[in-house]
Amino acid sequence: MTSSGRRSDVLRVQSISKSFGGLKAVQDFSLTLCEGDLKGLIGPNGAGKTTVFNLLTGVYKPDSGAISLSDAEVAGLRPNQICRQGMARTFQNIRLFGELPVLDNVRLGTHVRAHQTLLGAAMRSPFSVGEERAMTARARDLLAFFGLEGRAEEQARNLPYGDQRKLEIARALATSPKVLLLDEPAAGMNSGEKVALRDLIRRVQTTFGVTILLIEHDMGLVMDICQRITVIDYGVTIAEGPPEAIQNDPKVIEAYLGAPDEPSVEQGVARA
Amino acid sequence: MLPLLIGLVFAAVMQLVVKPNIGDYPAKLVLDIGIAISLAVSLTMVNGFTGQFSMGHAGFLAVGGYAAGIVTYYGSQRIWGDRATHGGILSGRPLAIDPATLPLVGHGDWLFLAALVVGGLVAALLGFLVGLPSLRLKGDYLAIVTLGFGEIVRVMIQQTNATLKPQDIAWEEVYPALPRPAGVEAVASYAFDVIDPATKLGRTVYQAVSDTPAWDVLTHVGGSLGFTGIPKYTSLFWVYIVASITIFAAFRLKQSTFGRAFLSIREDEVAAEAMGVNTTRYKVWAFVISAFFAGVAGGLFAHTLGVGLSAETAGFLKSFDIIIMVVLGGLGSISGAVIAAVVVTVLPEALRDIPQYRLIIYALALILIMIFRPKGLLGTHEIWDRAVWKRVRRRGGSEPGKAKGGSSP
Ligand SMILES: Nc1ncnc2c1ncn2[C@@H]1O[C@H](COP(=O)(O)OP(=O)(O)OP(=O)(O)O)[C@@H](O)[C@H]1O
Ligand SMILES: [Mg+2]
Repeated sequence: MTSSGRRSDVLRVQSISKSFGGLKAVQDFSLTLCEGDLKGLIGPNGAGKTTVFNLLTGVYKPDSGAISLSDAEVAGLRPNQICRQGMARTFQNIRLFGELPVLDNVRLGTHVRAHQTLLGAAMRSPFSVGEERAMTARARDLLAFFGLEGRAEEQARNLPYGDQRKLEIARALATSPKVLLLDEPAAGMNSGEKVALRDLIRRVQTTFGVTILLIEHDMGLVMDICQRITVIDYGVTIAEGPPEAIQNDPKVIEAYLGAPDEPSVEQGVARA
Repeated sequence: MLPLLIGLVFAAVMQLVVKPNIGDYPAKLVLDIGIAISLAVSLTMVNGFTGQFSMGHAGFLAVGGYAAGIVTYYGSQRIWGDRATHGGILSGRPLAIDPATLPLVGHGDWLFLAALVVGGLVAALLGFLVGLPSLRLKGDYLAIVTLGFGEIVRVMIQQTNATLKPQDIAWEEVYPALPRPAGVEAVASYAFDVIDPATKLGRTVYQAVSDTPAWDVLTHVGGSLGFTGIPKYTSLFWVYIVASITIFAAFRLKQSTFGRAFLSIREDEVAAEAMGVNTTRYKVWAFVISAFFAGVAGGLFAHTLGVGLSAETAGFLKSFDIIIMVVLGGLGSISGAVIAAVVVTVLPEALRDIPQYRLIIYALALILIMIFRPKGLLGTHEIWDRAVWKRVRRRGGSEPGKAKGGSSP
């Protein structure tokens, strides 16, 4: 709908590749995210979507290619440095700090923007106390945004599944990212929760002004909220474009259905 | 700084009010408890907060003890020409001296304080070196490396020079050419074994301590015979002021954003790193801070009356004692570590008549804890946390208690 010409690129990925032994998990993957984009990344199981996230966030180092975040090269940096540069993520297989209170999970996210020193914290210097207070306030705001304020003191591992997914998003937002990577946020949710999540992701984008890259198996959700979609299969990008074009792309249909006589994309996904 | 002031008052009360009223033997036990608290709480910072399983904590204890011992032992020799204590009331000077003439804090106490800091710093430096492997190794592998560290310290201490401890040697032996000043009988001297080039026979020569450069003797700490003769400054006051500071620092750390960063590493290192926590830096920091406090506790230990500082101080058994305290109390719980330190120190005394069962009871206690409370008595919680009491009330609660070992990445 909007032309991306006026907005600046926040994330530019140029043909990154990654192999595990003989397995080419990601090949020549390229992608550009402009400020305010909400892009989908889809593909069948094992296509390499999570590996792309791991490459972007520094968990794996790309074998080749370049990744620039706000014009700074980040390929090869450690994950904590990339987070500092403004990229945060959630995990497909939820990775919360289970024993810690919900509030502390989110407060931890604000740590990367903290300026106090260890000595200042030990001495409770006015600056450190003030910053600590600001971190807590920001964490509580985020929890309220996600409707989790009532569970702030509970251990994260005791939250219901859907809330854990939301908490992961809240924790990632606490790092003040420019780019937010969501890895299957709807996985394990029922249809009612999925509808709520769709609105939530939209609200996250408008409220926090983040650019979002979304991995999701639920086609309805992806087609509904993403402006553009990239499809990968066996590590190779097979299609890129707006939802309508993707839905009718023969290569995409084949990737999902395998045999051409199976009925629908949705069913193909259900199989997966 | 109110908590520190409370610690100061508490420590002074321990020394000036409690100690005179409980008798020597209980006082020694209370002193041991104080040192154990510092050790357990300091280990909590590594094993409890960051979840790195260090098994060489006694190595830091020993290194700190020896470093501090060197400072007071050789320092006293330089400053006062003897190795007696020169402390004040707070370090419990021998009763032979009229307390009324004593200052609260003597000159020797300042030397002792400096020695404790030196002990802490030397241990912290070693903590940095031991922390480095923790960047590459996890779980069992790190445990083995830290275990090895303790053993290395133990063996190295054993290899230090045993014969060159200063002894009082007759003036004539040391200075055959000089006339003996009136009133001087002996000179504190080091013995050096030398080979006479002419006869090829070994003989012993003596060199006055005051003529020997400090760096020549720093390794002369008794070898396998143990480092004896360190002035005994450690009193309940010093022990409890250190314990207070250690507890205080641990709490401040735990409640700060850095503490959350430490804990996040324990909970999920990958997620912590992805959320911007420099896990490498914090893991090393945890080792450094923890080693510092263990080194200070080692300084206290070295200056305790009735303690022979020896290579065994760095040994595995000592490390094991401290680990038991931390695991028993709950990984990450400071109050748990304090309680466990008291229990583990008092227990052997209570079982004094049946000492052979001590290790069996330890082992049993550990096994029971592993079965019924895999996260220790209190887990990460503190004793006053609501969560603890809630659980106690719905006793035998069906908590998932899924042991998430520190070894799984
Ligand atoms: N660390 C690794 N070592 C070896 N192989 C790996 C590793 N990580 C991923 N792979 C492989 O790379 C391929 C892509 O995996 P990836 O997790 O990126 O898929 P995905 O698209 O996220 O799938 P899903 O939809 O199931 O989450 C898979 O074949 C996987 O087995
Ligand atoms: Mg995946």
